Amino acid sequence: MRSRQRRLLVLATLVAFGLLACAAIALIVNMLAASRRVTADPIRNRIVYGLTLMPSGFDPHINSSSEIGIVLRSVYDTLVYRDPQSKAFVPGLAEKWEVSTDGLTYTFHLKSGVKFHDGTPFDANAVAATLDRVTDPAIKSQKALYLLGPYDHYTVVDPQTIQIVLKSPYAPLLDGLAQVYLGIASPTALKTYDSARYQFHQVGTGPYAMIDYIPGDHVTLRRNPDYTWGPPFYTAPGPYSIDEIVFRFFPDPATRAPALETGDANVMGELSPTDAILFTGNTNIRLYPQPIPGEPMQFLFNTTRAPTDKLEVRQALILATNRSAVVDAVFQQFSPVAYGPLSAVTPFYALQVKTMYPYNSAQALDLLGKAGYSDSGGDKILDQNNTKLHLTMIVPPWGLIPQVAQKIQSQWRDLGIELELRQVPGFTALVAAAQSGDYNLIAYDTSGVDPSVLDTVYRSDGPFNWTHYQSGDMDHWLAQGEAASDLETRQNMYLAVQNHVMEQALILPIRDYVNLNGATANVGNLSFDAYGWFPLLANLTLNEPGKSGGSP
Amino acid sequence: MSVYLLRRTGAALLTIWLALTLAFWALRIVPGDAMAARLAQAGASNAQIAERRAALGLDRPTLIQYVQTLTGLLRGDLGNSIVSGRPVSEMIGEQLGATAMLAAGALVIAVLAGVAFGVFAVTSCFRWVRNGIAILVALILSAPVYWVGTLAIYLFSVWLRWLPSTGSGDLRHLLLPWLALGLSLSGSIARVTAGSLNEARHADFVRTARAKGLHERQIVFQHMLRAGIGPILSVIALQTGFLLGGAVVTEALFVRQGIGQVLLSAIQDKDFPVVQGIVVLSAVFYSAINTLVDVLIGVLDPRVRVTD
Repeated sequence: MRSRQRRLLVLATLVAFGLLACAAIALIVNMLAASRRVTADPIRNRIVYGLTLMPSGFDPHINSSSEIGIVLRSVYDTLVYRDPQSKAFVPGLAEKWEVSTDGLTYTFHLKSGVKFHDGTPFDANAVAATLDRVTDPAIKSQKALYLLGPYDHYTVVDPQTIQIVLKSPYAPLLDGLAQVYLGIASPTALKTYDSARYQFHQVGTGPYAMIDYIPGDHVTLRRNPDYTWGPPFYTAPGPYSIDEIVFRFFPDPATRAPALETGDANVMGELSPTDAILFTGNTNIRLYPQPIPGEPMQFLFNTTRAPTDKLEVRQALILATNRSAVVDAVFQQFSPVAYGPLSAVTPFYALQVKTMYPYNSAQALDLLGKAGYSDSGGDKILDQNNTKLHLTMIVPPWGLIPQVAQKIQSQWRDLGIELELRQVPGFTALVAAAQSGDYNLIAYDTSGVDPSVLDTVYRSDGPFNWTHYQSGDMDHWLAQGEAASDLETRQNMYLAVQNHVMEQALILPIRDYVNLNGATANVGNLSFDAYGWFPLLANLTLNEPGKSGGSP
Repeated sequence: MSVYLLRRTGAALLTIWLALTLAFWALRIVPGDAMAARLAQAGASNAQIAERRAALGLDRPTLIQYVQTLTGLLRGDLGNSIVSGRPVSEMIGEQLGATAMLAAGALVIAVLAGVAFGVFAVTSCFRWVRNGIAILVALILSAPVYWVGTLAIYLFSVWLRWLPSTGSGDLRHLLLPWLALGLSLSGSIARVTAGSLNEARHADFVRTARAKGLHERQIVFQHMLRAGIGPILSVIALQTGFLLGGAVVTEALFVRQGIGQVLLSAIQDKDFPVVQGIVVLSAVFYSAINTLVDVLIGVLDPRVRVTD
């Protein structure tokens, strides 16, 4: 009995000591970390910016992820920029430019007095070095190369002038040159580091210089004090401007909102709508919903597989979908309903599509009746010649598309339309499912400012022509839209395409993509470029100067 | 002994080859071509896509690619990433430290906690301690690491604000991942330890030790544990497999730098050489640990010592 009591005493003491030791260790570690933070922090304004995926490569000339642009958009300048509001082209590293009447030669007059972060002066040879690199087959560019379209060669006219010559007219060239993937890199850095190493030592002329990149961990940018040659929409630095930005990765959506709440991150993109709605009542966190131009989240109809091969069926399905109910339920009203093949913030958006298919289930049933469908079996499912009205939909996991698909499934079930959902794990699997051809509807969306993004989906031989719709008219309009250099012709061509897509009911548009960004309340002037994904870091402020972001 | 080691090495090589072969074919059975999809999205024409596939060697017959992968491995060359173009060995190397740090700490916690739970579950003279630990171990065994980790984040980071929830930096960033991964591995160790001790409790040598008047602590730690060391070490070695798998999940959950993150994005991108490289590395590590433990058991337990 005594020994039992003694053992209990020993046990209790041990537990108490253990707890004390733990607390002490935690305290010491915290203190050490805190003291290190204070001493190792000469930078006044620093923020942590959350990235949402971990790109496998970080080189803008080689890799294609949009995520890398969030960081690199401010490391590089491009020859031209697009104004974030009007989306018109404005001077970047090129002061002005001319396009030859045949649309083949673009002449760029470059700014003088521009310097790279490594001190190399910027001139036509620097532009040439970047073009050489992007078009070098050995670097295996995954995006930048294709932004140049039918690129043929360049000519350095003089140190301040460079010409880009195309094989055939290509109006979207300026759009490509305005994107970070064609950011002009320091020729010195390109010579010093081979193609695999350059991503760790990137040097541009932008408002921020890259300090380090540790794959999977972080990227650090520091303000370029010499920067004076920015586009008109960059504001001049002030006492509240950010000196240092640390980018960290938050690939798991569940970790993003907690990171903002705990102060682990000051800015975070791609919050879920359910997290965003919780933040609306939170004074410490501000929401910045940012519409993204391009093709909205939509389902493409397979026009070669019954029953969506019939126009009336496709039209009926659009009319049968209460899109605002879907968008309200899934996206918590943060996204506008989509009506056509382009989202409303994309240049040359056709307003007419908005009124073409207002939700009307009675009209939908009427159309289906005309197409020969009725509930003859009394099982509440429409049928024709003993064949049920059964549709298959390919559903990828991103952008809350599975939730959208389920809502549509239940709306259609009420009308007697049977919808089978087939989930695929990712983009590669989505493409594979599309190639099998075994579907009636398949999800699709993409971003981009130039309406030539429509090309890959609606050209008869387009790689994403998953509607299998072929039309000489559409091919002609798309080709004209890409080749014509005057805005009016381009506008007419793309309006014709958009109207035709909706007249033929080739797609079921759902919602315009909106990136839900959140930022802690002390961060100010968070705004985004014309493409919607990339923050204008040069304009960003920290409203309590001297008080650093990051963990408290 | 040398024959034994030779046999073990042969078995290890077989394991590595099987793991590589499985990874190689499993990745290619899944339909779809990530690189082609990526290029098409960027606006490349079909001819350009075909050209790129040829440049990457993806157009060659799968069997030829398989042989090339094997011969590359024999030369110690894991190849280059399809997406970033960088050598796979370099991409793994720069992440190895972070993952090793996480795995080592978690293993220490798993062993300490597991053995302690096991010992208390059997030898405590209070029934409530024994039952409490049994329930705890059952909980740990059934709770996946991401659940434990998420709870830990909400408790210690969001609610109490003691520790950062994400990132890799100083020791504070490691405490929660260590605890989450270590605790979730400790369940099986606790169970096997308890089992070993239970078996030994009624053995003759324990009765003899007790009859000699040895202190209970000496009996437990010097006799019972020593006799049951074989199964305990074996289960620890087996847990290293789960340790690697758990590290992938833990790194994703706590947004830590490490091999797990590289593996996840490589699977998404169908970056074959990277996935294969990580699988080979895991197989090497797993085989090495298991061989080491087998030898160690022989050293510690004369009953299973191998003789030539």
